[in-house]
Amino acid sequence: MSIFEYNGSALVAMVGKNCFAIASDRRLGVQLQTIATDFQRIYKIHDRLFLGLSGLATDAQTLYQRLVFRHKLYQLREERDMKPETFASLVSAVLYEKRFGPYFCQPVIAGLGEEDKPFICTMDSIGAKELAKDFVVAGTASESLYGACEAMFKPDMEAEELFETISQALLSSVDRDCLSGWGGHVYVITPTEVKERILKGRMD
Amino acid sequence: MDLNKMDLNAPHSMGTTIIGVTYNGGVVLGADSRTSTGVYVANRASDKITQLTDNVYVCRSGSAADSQIVSDYVRYFLHQHTIQLGQPATVKVAANLVRLISYNNKNMLQTGLIVGGWDKYEGGKIYGIPLGGTIIEQPFAIGGSGSSYLYGFFDQAWKEGMTKDEAEQLVVKAVSLAIARDGASGGVVRTVIINSEGVTRNFYPGDKLPLWHEELEPQNSLLDILNTTSPEPMNI
Amino acid sequence: MSRSAVDVPPKGGFSFDLCRRNDMLAKKGLQPPSFLKTGTTIVGLIFQDGVILGADTRATEGPIVADKNCEKIHYMAPNIYCCGAGTAADTEAVTDMVSSQLQLHRYHTGRESRVVTALTLLKKHLFNYQGHVSAALVLGGVDITGPHLHTIYPHGSTDTLPFATMGSGSLAAMAMFESKYKEGLTREEGVNLVVEAICSGIFNDLGSGSNVDVCVITKGHKEYLRNHLLPNPRTFVNPKGFSFPKKTEVLLTKITPLKEKVEVIEGGDAMEE
Repeated sequence: MSIFEYNGSALVAMVGKNCFAIASDRRLGVQLQTIATDFQRIYKIHDRLFLGLSGLATDAQTLYQRLVFRHKLYQLREERDMKPETFASLVSAVLYEKRFGPYFCQPVIAGLGEEDKPFICTMDSIGAKELAKDFVVAGTASESLYGACEAMFKPDMEAEELFETISQALLSSVDRDCLSGWGGHVYVITPTEVKERILKGRMD
Repeated sequence: MDLNKMDLNAPHSMGTTIIGVTYNGGVVLGADSRTSTGVYVANRASDKITQLTDNVYVCRSGSAADSQIVSDYVRYFLHQHTIQLGQPATVKVAANLVRLISYNNKNMLQTGLIVGGWDKYEGGKIYGIPLGGTIIEQPFAIGGSGSSYLYGFFDQAWKEGMTKDEAEQLVVKAVSLAIARDGASGGVVRTVIINSEGVTRNFYPGDKLPLWHEELEPQNSLLDILNTTSPEPMNI
Repeated sequence: MSRSAVDVPPKGGFSFDLCRRNDMLAKKGLQPPSFLKTGTTIVGLIFQDGVILGADTRATEGPIVADKNCEKIHYMAPNIYCCGAGTAADTEAVTDMVSSQLQLHRYHTGRESRVVTALTLLKKHLFNYQGHVSAALVLGGVDITGPHLHTIYPHGSTDTLPFATMGSGSLAAMAMFESKYKEGLTREEGVNLVVEAICSGIFNDLGSGSNVDVCVITKGHKEYLRNHLLPNPRTFVNPKGFSFPKKTEVLLTKITPLKEKVEVIEGGDAMEE
């Protein structure tokens, strides 16, 4: 078994028109045994920047703490929030530092940049950035997510349609993955507000 | 094809034929030009005879990365040495530096080198520095995977006090013999002649080399051979 | 007190903190992850007035196509570019690191960077890590001494060639070069040959795919032709797209309004002394 499959996870982020959405499942497991059904793997870095961490949960939480620490140092020094692009480079550098003994984490970064331009990006566990214009996925359900998003995604969706699309893609994908599921967390971020929703899903 | 042998990530190695020969008045160095990763020829025209100073060259064999690093360091040290001394470095000094690096890092390095050159104190000299970092001054030295085919030939063909042309012809003949028998050697033959006059580099293309036992004439295309035997080979 | 030093963000270099734990996990039968690879076709050639580099745009993670349109031709200096194959994080990190060293070197000397400088810095780094940093590179550029093309292998060996290929599609691409390359190609002939070589990788090697990127470098000028050719357009576009009449069931909604961004107006009323 791969170390990525130990806890199970599904993560996806999509770009819409002047907005973006990031969504994850809610299951935390230890192999096939479910431990929690309200697990948070999407973290807020600041109002318009979100980070999802798939993979080994212990590493995800450690990595999150280190990244928040680094972001707070940045805020103190610069008196402003990080741009999503800058944060992505920070995550990449923190991961690549452990090139020969990596965190077993695949991050998804989504944020609104300057002039409300949405930015999404994912990486492998050693920080190889993959910038995409449409959507990015990660976790044990990534294969089905690739297929679902590839079919359902349309460019320039408005917030509500984006929510519906990302939710359908997430729920249909986790239904084909034993290691993730139990509903989902969806964040839709527009320039004016953050809408956080909890989705109902299968409970098996 | 055996996919395991197709590993393009394998370290680059120079399954090689390298030769250094002294004659009266100087030295001739010779090498083939094949660099391979597994069974793939990564470079068919590489230059394995590297300059260290104006009057000293080195033939490299074994891991390409290791031999390049060793010769890069030695070249750097020799330039420094030449400036401090105010005169050209001797072949002995160059060879000793190669030996020092090879010996001190023998656990890390997979490379055998032949240093050859000319200086005003000792004339033309050849030094062999094989795997562990030994240094041997020799009238002629052979190295690389192709050298095993050449020991007997050199015992028979090498003579004391050859002329420059005799020595170069011997080197070209020997490398072409090794190319014919050793799968890890191939391409062209390069020679470097160093004497009191200076340095001459020569190049012998692969299709102009002598043909040995059961070797075929060079062809541009397989179809050329097929065309001569059957008129329409592709028409099956 | 000595612990406090650990919490300061490190200035560089690798950290091996997790190696022992990861080895322990590996021994317990938990496979270590596979990394993002650029199972790649990258090529370069020298033509009459400079160097042309080419690359495909597929990034893979095992059998999955992770990125359909990634960039494999990296910037090193204004007159030097570098194609990368192998582990994506390594090619990205090593080229970024060397390009910043070159920039500092230019500030220091006030001269244009040379290709050999980039070559030496790259090979030094790769040799130091004895092949563990798996980056296979094709480095090309034009400097004061003319056009140069080099290949650099993960173990730190380098070659200097008039035409070069690297990556899993290198055999397919080299077949095109070996049969069609000649000295003194024109710009158009050169670009066409590079495109042909990359396409031969895209269509014959499973690790390579999608589009063709080209970079033409001549004396004092360069042209980065991103997605120069798109031989694999999407064939299955649903013109209507999907719509979902039955809405997803939402259990809970939380709306956080975002604060208005404070605009600083330049040239407002000056403050009184």
